[in-house]
Amino acid sequence: MGKIVNKKTMPYLLLLPTFLYFAAFWLIPVIQCIRMSFQTPEGAYTLANYSFVFNDPVYPLALWNTVIFVAVSVSIEFVLALFLAILVNKKFRGVGVLLFLAMLPMTIPAIASAAMWQTGFTDYGWFNSLLYHLGIITSEFPVSWLSGGRWSMLILIIILDAWGSIPSIMIIILAGLQGLPDEAKEAGYTFGAKKQTVIWKIVVPMIKPTIVTAVILRIISAIQIWMLILILFNYGRLPVLLSRIVYWSEKMVTIKNYQQIAATYTVVLAVIITIVAIGYLYASGAIGSKKGKQL
Amino acid sequence: MSLPKPVKKSLFYIFLTCLAVIIIVPVFFLITTSFMSNNEAYTYPLPIIPAFNYKFEVKKHPSKYGDSYFISTYNRTKDKFESVLDTNSIPQIKTYFRQQLSVEVTDQEIKEQLKGMVNGDVRYFSFRKSLLYNYVTFFNVVRDAIPAFFRSIYVAIMTIIISLTLGSMCGYAFARYIYKGKDITKITILFVRMFPAVALAVPMVLILTAMGLFDNPFGLSLVYSVGAIALTAWITSSIFINLPLELEEACQVFGASKWRVFWKITLPLALPGLAASTMYIFLGAWGEVLIAMLLTQNNPTFPVVVFNTLLGASGEVNLVAAGGIVMLIPAIVFMLIVKKYLKTMWGNV
Repeated sequence: MGKIVNKKTMPYLLLLPTFLYFAAFWLIPVIQCIRMSFQTPEGAYTLANYSFVFNDPVYPLALWNTVIFVAVSVSIEFVLALFLAILVNKKFRGVGVLLFLAMLPMTIPAIASAAMWQTGFTDYGWFNSLLYHLGIITSEFPVSWLSGGRWSMLILIIILDAWGSIPSIMIIILAGLQGLPDEAKEAGYTFGAKKQTVIWKIVVPMIKPTIVTAVILRIISAIQIWMLILILFNYGRLPVLLSRIVYWSEKMVTIKNYQQIAATYTVVLAVIITIVAIGYLYASGAIGSKKGKQL
Repeated sequence: MSLPKPVKKSLFYIFLTCLAVIIIVPVFFLITTSFMSNNEAYTYPLPIIPAFNYKFEVKKHPSKYGDSYFISTYNRTKDKFESVLDTNSIPQIKTYFRQQLSVEVTDQEIKEQLKGMVNGDVRYFSFRKSLLYNYVTFFNVVRDAIPAFFRSIYVAIMTIIISLTLGSMCGYAFARYIYKGKDITKITILFVRMFPAVALAVPMVLILTAMGLFDNPFGLSLVYSVGAIALTAWITSSIFINLPLELEEACQVFGASKWRVFWKITLPLALPGLAASTMYIFLGAWGEVLIAMLLTQNNPTFPVVVFNTLLGASGEVNLVAAGGIVMLIPAIVFMLIVKKYLKTMWGNV
């Protein structure tokens, strides 16, 4: 095999099946979606959908809620996940139990976890009950977790979402840490480096590709948050970009051009995600540099 | 850093315990709620442990409709009896016990307890609660649950096969070759992942119908694979890039073909990364609701069935919890299988 396929064509051969697959099951529907965003329901080309979306009073709110959520939650979650991954990446008693527990939040399907938080954070839910049992609040005055303003809603969403997201970032980073050759760390210690120095100057730079992957995947999924917000606050109270798409494709079906508006919101969201992701990848050096090992 | 070792070790374990508590508590309450009767689930404060039996206090008293039983149940949190029912009809008591308290008893058993009571009598007795009541109700309400369950497993497995094969090939190409257009291919694959999957669903209806795969679990796995391939490509490329290249070269020097090296050396070393990818793919395909709702009709997947049932039950907390747990179990079983591979590497650290 190695003799027939030469080095230059090999990567293209490896990529070919995937790109054919994407052409059929991604590119065609995407083109249809983009075309729809520029069309009236009758099929005539128009820009009216875009002017509708940009003049929608909910749009700036949804945009900023998404931006704030992504910026705050991804940075906090990344720092905590990296810290936890380094902390548990060693042999100690109970590591298996801890790994199992860390993976528990990510195994919980979205509906189940949304239901879990919804039943938990209503005035008479389990969270207040827990606080009561711990003696922190009395039974007469439950805390209204869900009735706060925009900022308290955002903070709650960030915390609840972190519960499910940190473990998944941690697992990716951990997988990277485990692929790391021990010699590098040992060399650092041999030359008298402190533990922190080894971590920040040797370990972190070496697993940078893994970190970049974990963070970019998290950014992308964070931009697409909707289920939890929808279950806790419905469509109106804390709009985000993806919940607008769901809103238009599920709730506005009586309006004639609902599909076109949903498609337009989708294109806007996709453009935003693209800009953020490419910006991040350039800033982190994952693309645009000529690094890479060659076989 | 100057703390003595035993202190450091204790602090470490205290920290880990706190972490464990934070992770367990919400899941714990999801589980306990799933074992609660309606009566328990709608009290405040909620009990920490669901009741295993109900203590009753019955007073017989005259009312304008004839002699009537005034029934109270014991609330453990408040440590007192709370009135629940005032009736003289045994079937009504039975229905109330079953629906609100998850207590399944026969008319005969109730009559037994009330036998020979005269007005003004107070009597105490207890009945065992049927703990699995919500689960049984759940599977009775959801007619299509069992075929849908296997359909979902099938969708998840097909998605894993398609995306692991294609995705790891891409990941290898990204990690090990320098070629023209590398950045563009990487960004393209990422972009595929970024595009909100919900939006693909509407045009996909037409495409899958044309292929005869609408309302078909395989059609669904084709759609799920789009995002899953991209995810696998990125995760595996970050794993492959960290694997020692020298080992592969050494094998090639000794005459092994590139394919042989890939299957015998690179792949086993990349196993934790592949295990992680598999887990993400499974979880994504197993729990997805929105696309499945749009792309199926008579052959829904399990989460869709659960979602619809929960919506139909107008959010009875305990039934919602039981549905959530039913969805959780296969995910945990799968995780336990995958964890073994993650742990093989773990042991070597």
